[in-house]
Amino acid sequence: MIDSAEMVKKVFTQKSGRIETNKGEAFYNTLFNQAKSRLKTLRAQEPLKEIDLIDIIDSEGINRRDFMKWVSATTATLMLPPMFAPLVAEATELMNRVPVIWIELQDCAGNSEALLRSAAPTVDDLLFDVLSLEYQETLQAAAGHDADKQLEEAVEHFKGQYLLFVEGAIPMANNGQFGTIGASGETFHDHLIRMANDSAAVVAVGTCATFGGIPAAAPNPTGAVGVMDLVKGKPIVNIPACPANPANMVGVILHYVLTGQIPELDSLLRPKFAFGYRIHDNCERRAHFDAGEFVEEWGDEGAKNNFCLYKVGCKGPMTFNNCSIVRYNEGTNWPIGVGRGCIGCSEPDFWDKYAYERPMADANIKAPTGGVEKTVDEFGLGLLTATTVGIGVHAIASAVAGKKSDEGEE
Amino acid sequence: MKTIDLVERIEGEAKLSCSWKNGVICDASIDFLNFRGFEYILKGKSPLDALVYTPRICGICGQAHLKASVEALEDIYKNLNEPLTLTPKSLLLREIGLNIEIIDSHIKWFYMFIMPDIVKLQNSDLGIYTPLKGSRWLEASKTASETIKGLALIGGQWPHTSYMIPGGVMSDPTLLELTSIQNYMDYAIRFFENSISGVDFDTYLSFSNIKDLDLLKGDLEYFKNIAITNSLQKLGTSHDRFISLASSSLFDEGIIRQRTAYKIDLGKIKESSEHTFSLNKEENNSSKTTWSKSVSYNNSFFETGPLSRALISKESNRKFIKELHKQYNDSAMVRVLARMDELAHLLESTKNLISKVDISEESFIKPKYSLKDIENGQGKAVVEACRGSLYHNVIIQNGKIKNYDVITPTVWNLGPKNKNENGVAQEAIIGSPNIEIAKIILRSFDVCSVCTTH
Repeated sequence: MIDSAEMVKKVFTQKSGRIETNKGEAFYNTLFNQAKSRLKTLRAQEPLKEIDLIDIIDSEGINRRDFMKWVSATTATLMLPPMFAPLVAEATELMNRVPVIWIELQDCAGNSEALLRSAAPTVDDLLFDVLSLEYQETLQAAAGHDADKQLEEAVEHFKGQYLLFVEGAIPMANNGQFGTIGASGETFHDHLIRMANDSAAVVAVGTCATFGGIPAAAPNPTGAVGVMDLVKGKPIVNIPACPANPANMVGVILHYVLTGQIPELDSLLRPKFAFGYRIHDNCERRAHFDAGEFVEEWGDEGAKNNFCLYKVGCKGPMTFNNCSIVRYNEGTNWPIGVGRGCIGCSEPDFWDKYAYERPMADANIKAPTGGVEKTVDEFGLGLLTATTVGIGVHAIASAVAGKKSDEGEE
Repeated sequence: MKTIDLVERIEGEAKLSCSWKNGVICDASIDFLNFRGFEYILKGKSPLDALVYTPRICGICGQAHLKASVEALEDIYKNLNEPLTLTPKSLLLREIGLNIEIIDSHIKWFYMFIMPDIVKLQNSDLGIYTPLKGSRWLEASKTASETIKGLALIGGQWPHTSYMIPGGVMSDPTLLELTSIQNYMDYAIRFFENSISGVDFDTYLSFSNIKDLDLLKGDLEYFKNIAITNSLQKLGTSHDRFISLASSSLFDEGIIRQRTAYKIDLGKIKESSEHTFSLNKEENNSSKTTWSKSVSYNNSFFETGPLSRALISKESNRKFIKELHKQYNDSAMVRVLARMDELAHLLESTKNLISKVDISEESFIKPKYSLKDIENGQGKAVVEACRGSLYHNVIIQNGKIKNYDVITPTVWNLGPKNKNENGVAQEAIIGSPNIEIAKIILRSFDVCSVCTTH
């Protein structure tokens, strides 16, 4: 029986130690040189869009110091040492060399909405002007048959080069008839496979695209699954959370521009730079947890004093994500900031396991204190080989996802 | 002749099938082909779980679903003669949160969904309205992003915020945060003045006459001119019947069927699945064409949304839109102007609500017992969301959800026809001279396919 604060403290204050934040000088020097030559190659390429970041910064009157601040924050988010900051700045400028196609399947457009609110000097200038977003059905001008045509042209033109962002789950029941797209009535499944086949890598954005999300909640009436259950033979990056944090979307793109590869992933194919530690590890209320000061119920004295939300069901101790650092809406706030407690939305099955009326002591879940990533780390795979990791760990990831993660390690 | 077209940029995709006669659309069917099954998923779940699930029906109007869910759960206590006590502060914070979401949605709707299509009627170069790079598009996107930060301050994040629970709200904003929210509202007001209406905010709010239409400058003037050139002040009329299910500081409940009645009987709402696909493949046949149901009040279809709310509002409120309606009926142009007019009134009224929050009050008062301990209970709630009236109905048995029914605004407006009459948007589209106009009429309802099918 885990009921004493002491026991709980012991479990959750263990060092999570699941990510090496310092890989040593030699590693970074090699990476630095590789990134440098990658950027040189990119710069030699024709931009997909004739837009110059520096011009934008000047014409829009964005403070260059603010831009550099953003660059250092992003460099840190990507877990790179400060010497990479100039390269990250340059990579931002070269985002227009990497085409992005964004498709929406069984979704609510929540991640598209989040993208609109990305943290950047201003997202509009950086992401929309510089990023070559070749197709995004919610945001683009074209609709209907024009949109169909634009998508086909983008796929044809950028064959093998584009990053495919996928938002939404894929309904597999009834031969996929719960979701079709376009005039031909192509099923989401067929559409996804077709788009993925010609991509350089697939990025699943949000918990629906990664683990099936709410549509996959019991009894999963439409047979919803995530991208990694269907797409084979392509590097896949999962950016779960509901909605996914736009900072992590930008991070994955920048990493790809910088290195030509997807970032290092954990066993659930999540980038370690974003999902390498728990909400709990960096929570602003952590000191209260350590001091044994808890909110017992909403509205009590503890709530008024911003005490720890663990006892009202916060899932921060078993949720891997960087929202305690990055926050939402350009750093404005995050759920724990208003006393709500984390619902674990970046974890598989959060919808059925982590909702409100289940304070942790009563819940059928245990904290993954040992860390599932150990399996990946044992391969000794570094950042630069991550593309192969994406494919290599896929089988493992699917097995883990299928096994349900309520079997956390002791 | 028959044609099939698609409409996107609407939180999903709609299929528009039209029959043509003498160059005019004589019949239309609006079909939604994507489905997730929220009502099935909610069965058997703990009641409070609804607060996590239903906001995720939609990435744009999650607040409205959250508010409907929490109020439906609170209605269960009321029906068991144990009504919960809510402080004015918690009620205010709920309404402020919902209003900010509607403000955000209206701004984005106009610039991301309406303007690109409208400008295209006149000009192949969208100029400052070009999605993702036109200066006005970016300005609008920035304004919406700034405004929604006000909601993040009381809700924690946006989209998908869950800060309301039976008994109140979890958040406890400081005076500084409330001041910041006021500042975000002011930011949007400046945008409304400088870009949207081109006139001083108070002057705009005093508009009460059809002639005031001529005073519009800015993007609304540009919109109005293109609309009139393309006869959108005449096209897009439907049944001219309106419904608004919920009251708030700005809205009143009621229906208009020739005259206004300020009383709603929720028992007269009927959902039909006549044309709706069944989960069981065997039951589907050629009359089943969409995942949307249809919904009627007292056996008739009613339009819901900002135009309905403006027309149903009491006394001399919203006179500008009432006058426009007298002149131009429920046309596409009036529908668009009603939504933008609502934006101005919401900004004003939300500022006022924020100033009323007394931070010394409690945010939450704990219910005497948990929903888990309720053997049998039922609760209903209605909320005015961005796109119109939202209705949640929950039945609890042995502490679990036995049944959860959601009727979204888009089901009122975009549901398929029944034996007696055409659906609201379907009726509006019939008579369109070309597909571009038909699509704009469809958009004038602020389509949301994920809400429609949920």
